[in-house]
Amino acid sequence: MTPSTLPGAHSSSTLPARLTRRFLGTGSVLVLLAAWAVLTMVTDTISTSRFPSPLQFWQSTKQIVTVGYADGTLVGHALHSTRLVVLGFAVAAGIGVPLGLLMGWSRRAEALINPAFLVIRPVPPLAWIPLAILWLGLGDAAKIMVIFFAAFVPAVINTLSGIRAIEPPIIEAARMLGTGRWRFLSEVLLPAAAPMIFTGLRLALQAAWTTLVAAELVGALAGLGRVLNMAQQDIYPAMVMVGMAAVGVLGWATTRLLAEVERRAMPWLAH
Amino acid sequence: MSAIIFENVYRYFTREGKSLPALDGIDLTVADKEVVALVGPSGCGKTTCLRLAAGFEVPTKGRVTVGGQPVNGPGPDRAVVFQQFALFPWKSVEENIAFGLRNQGVSASTRRERVSAVIKLMGLEGYETAYPHQLSGGMQQRVAIARAYVLDPEALLMDEPFGALDAQTRIMMQEELVRIARVNPRTVLFITHAVDEAVYLADRVAVMTRRPGRIKEILDVRHVRNAERWNDHERIEDVMDLESFVHLRTHIWRSLREEKIGVAP
Repeated sequence: MTPSTLPGAHSSSTLPARLTRRFLGTGSVLVLLAAWAVLTMVTDTISTSRFPSPLQFWQSTKQIVTVGYADGTLVGHALHSTRLVVLGFAVAAGIGVPLGLLMGWSRRAEALINPAFLVIRPVPPLAWIPLAILWLGLGDAAKIMVIFFAAFVPAVINTLSGIRAIEPPIIEAARMLGTGRWRFLSEVLLPAAAPMIFTGLRLALQAAWTTLVAAELVGALAGLGRVLNMAQQDIYPAMVMVGMAAVGVLGWATTRLLAEVERRAMPWLAH
Repeated sequence: MSAIIFENVYRYFTREGKSLPALDGIDLTVADKEVVALVGPSGCGKTTCLRLAAGFEVPTKGRVTVGGQPVNGPGPDRAVVFQQFALFPWKSVEENIAFGLRNQGVSASTRRERVSAVIKLMGLEGYETAYPHQLSGGMQQRVAIARAYVLDPEALLMDEPFGALDAQTRIMMQEELVRIARVNPRTVLFITHAVDEAVYLADRVAVMTRRPGRIKEILDVRHVRNAERWNDHERIEDVMDLESFVHLRTHIWRSLREEKIGVAP
């Protein structure tokens, strides 16, 4: 652990200190951008046939936004991919969280479900891609199935361990207060496990993006993975980088959105 | 009438196939509106006694009744105050206190009335919408006591309720509890390892033997308190200075020390 990451290292959060850190961060990005421009466009140290220059990157971006690439514009591909991630994530969370709650709530449900779950769990999500394509073709359904298997596992596991981690006195207090079954689930177990559930959802969202891009690389009719795949076949590194940047921005944006939902869902954790 | 009665209660735990006795024939009655403090060496089973009355555990033999009813699982008629508060961190002070009443189906207007009365009693005005983590330990335990009191329970079961508090807060809370008990007397079983606290708060102090726990002796503090007019003194330190207080405390200390070094059979 470096000194700057030690707890309390950020205690000097005076305004000038924060501004200095922000300046340092912006500075390092600017230096990298400048180095990229110089190495590709001025000194030709890096061959632009392997690694595009900032100018090529910009031109490719303009091309895919206005004219389009791989049968669609950037917005079209991005919407296509985002829609699949959101759908697959929603189905996985919608089934995984209640299933984790059920397993945490009832030992019998856990005994029933856990063995099947333990069989699925060690299979890497990407290994489902061939089966998904065989069963469901290159369309949306196959992608949603693969995302589901990737996002489902962390959603269940973290919900379950969130419930397991509840302090016994909290459960005993709820019982002593005569809490009914439904209210016990919705007002005790669910909020008590909420921080862990959201940790699971963050992991699920990351897994959803990873597997979607992989599934689209293997075969897709639209989406950012298809952009990446086509650009590779066209030996078009600038477009590959545009696709990568787009996936990065979308992944970041959806994670931010989830963090905002998390913040609003657990107001008691705010300081 | 809401007495807590232990009738020849045994409790065994099984560990690695072996049966270990924790309680070895407890006979104890906490009379209606009486405060009984249970003291004993650590591991003697005093908390187990409280958990049996609360319904978190069942006796291996014998029975526990509260208000004439055999204990059958936890319920709001036997409110528990936990050492670690056990408040719901996701609920505000008000919501924590009102939760038990909601479970009982008490109407919203009655609920508001009773919650605000107990908030006033416990000196929690102004903190209604705060979350537990925003409060000090002492304030959190006030909320937990309010949550128990608001249920108007037959019995209050307090498991080392001030054990997690610093010394000063602890003394304040002890005085507070005496004040509340005068306004609103309850049947209380109070677990503690602090002898001072037991003598100051209880009508009777029951001393337990070391494990397997039995009741070794019961001291009638109320008798001494009334005879020596302890209640004329506002402050805890003045009561603790009285010869009669010191005498009782020393007696219990000796009794406990015997258990620790194992003079007892």
